[in-house]
Amino acid sequence: MIKFDKVSKVYKNGTRALNDISLEINEGEFVYIIGKTGSGKSTLIKILDGEEIPSSGTVTVFDTNVGKLKKRKVPLYRRNIGVVFQDFRLLPKKTVFENVAYAMEVVDTPKDQLRPRVREVLKLVELTEKSSSYPRELSGGQQQRVAIARAIANRPKILIADEPTGNLDPKMSGDIISLFERINEEEGTTVLIVTHDIHTVKAHPKRTIEIDSGHVARDRAEGLKDEDNKTILQED
Amino acid sequence: MKIIRRFFRKIKEGFIGVGRHFGMAISSSASVTITLLLIGFFLTLTYNLNTITQDIESSISLSALVDYDITSKTTLDSLEKQILAIDGVLSVDYRSKDEEFTYYVEMYPDIREFNELYREQNPFHDAYLVSVKDGTMLETVKNRISGINGIASVHDGGSNTYLLIDLLQKVRIFGAALVLSLTLLAVYLIYNTISITIRARDTEIWIMKNVGATNGYIRGPFMVEGVIIGILGSIIPIACMIAGYLYLYNMSNGVILGVFTLTNPKPFLYYLCAVLAGIGIVVGYIGSFLSVNKLLRSKR
Repeated sequence: MIKFDKVSKVYKNGTRALNDISLEINEGEFVYIIGKTGSGKSTLIKILDGEEIPSSGTVTVFDTNVGKLKKRKVPLYRRNIGVVFQDFRLLPKKTVFENVAYAMEVVDTPKDQLRPRVREVLKLVELTEKSSSYPRELSGGQQQRVAIARAIANRPKILIADEPTGNLDPKMSGDIISLFERINEEEGTTVLIVTHDIHTVKAHPKRTIEIDSGHVARDRAEGLKDEDNKTILQED
Repeated sequence: MKIIRRFFRKIKEGFIGVGRHFGMAISSSASVTITLLLIGFFLTLTYNLNTITQDIESSISLSALVDYDITSKTTLDSLEKQILAIDGVLSVDYRSKDEEFTYYVEMYPDIREFNELYREQNPFHDAYLVSVKDGTMLETVKNRISGINGIASVHDGGSNTYLLIDLLQKVRIFGAALVLSLTLLAVYLIYNTISITIRARDTEIWIMKNVGATNGYIRGPFMVEGVIIGILGSIIPIACMIAGYLYLYNMSNGVILGVFTLTNPKPFLYYLCAVLAGIGIVVGYIGSFLSVNKLLRSKR
């Protein structure tokens, strides 16, 4: 489903963010991408999302060569990818229901399909009773769940979460990861979580890819082991 | 059907956007209002100056004197045709030497005795009073009429006439440049205000981009908002210009300092209102377009 083949990315200022990376992620997989700040994780996501194009190598997502994707085709491609960010990015003047519905409105979803789907995803993230609330009335964990509901509303094939637990306490972080697991199981969505949060990664073991200085340093199907603490994310 | 639905969605979203960000919309409209007030004022001033200068210019005419020995009607008609054919000539008015004599005697009553002494040996020429389309063409027209066979001489008002024409031309150019500069200033001010309004909503744009909305889809409601802001901003200037101009026109009976005639409010005010509303709409539209595009370009 996702294939990075000898991918490098060098920015205009000369920064080499990715260096000859090759990896494959299959449909329905749940994968953590970990690494220090500046290791290249964000660039990897940006390339997947179509925001950046690789300097060399090939990135293939659903048989589409992302690097060769024409600018006008990016929006259509992006409808297959849901993105969740650390800072939630909710619209403060819209209710929870409207925030989720908004993502569907902008891709021209007919109204008769929109309302049932919004209700469905709000139920999935356990926020049905908060559908009329505004983001400011919610806790950080609840806001993150709204952001997740919005990201999956259009039934993307891939869900990317960039530091989704960065602003949350350990309990909430665990709940959010459990929610991603449920989405992965119930919706069949491929989930990629970019994180620093090594404790959460260990508490919910899944395939873990470590990026270091633009390289794939580790790729463990069974997740992290205890001894990895000493070598991974030492700065944390 | 989908196109119509999308069109109305843009309009609806535009209005909702203005409602949701009313404070910002009002501040953008205020900058439109201030600049349109200035544009309206200077446009009125320039237009009236233009009319006044054109009135002055059209009252400047040349007097082409016909040779004494030309008396036949055919030759005189031919001369008139030749003058009319010259580029820049607006009208030609024939006066016989008797009419010229009477005109001057009536104009200067102090020279009555001149009438009694010279009526029989009238020293005046038959003449053509030539009006030109544009004061700047006066000299060229004068030279070309002088070259016509049968014309004894051509008279203008002397060097002061040309100085006056030059001055009027400069006034016109200055006025036009002022209005143009103000319009550009308006575009810049409105663009900046709308930019701030739109940049404050970059999260909204970011979300739309992330879920796969096309640039056209994102741009639409913002441009409708820009147009609404432009229309809102032009209401006060239009009202002020109508009220102010009508007041000035009625107060002065349409004549300033007893000499300069003001342009009739109808249809001038209709045009002015259309121009102000048009500038508001176009500038709002362009301002929004440029601002949104800048944001859209920042992300692929």
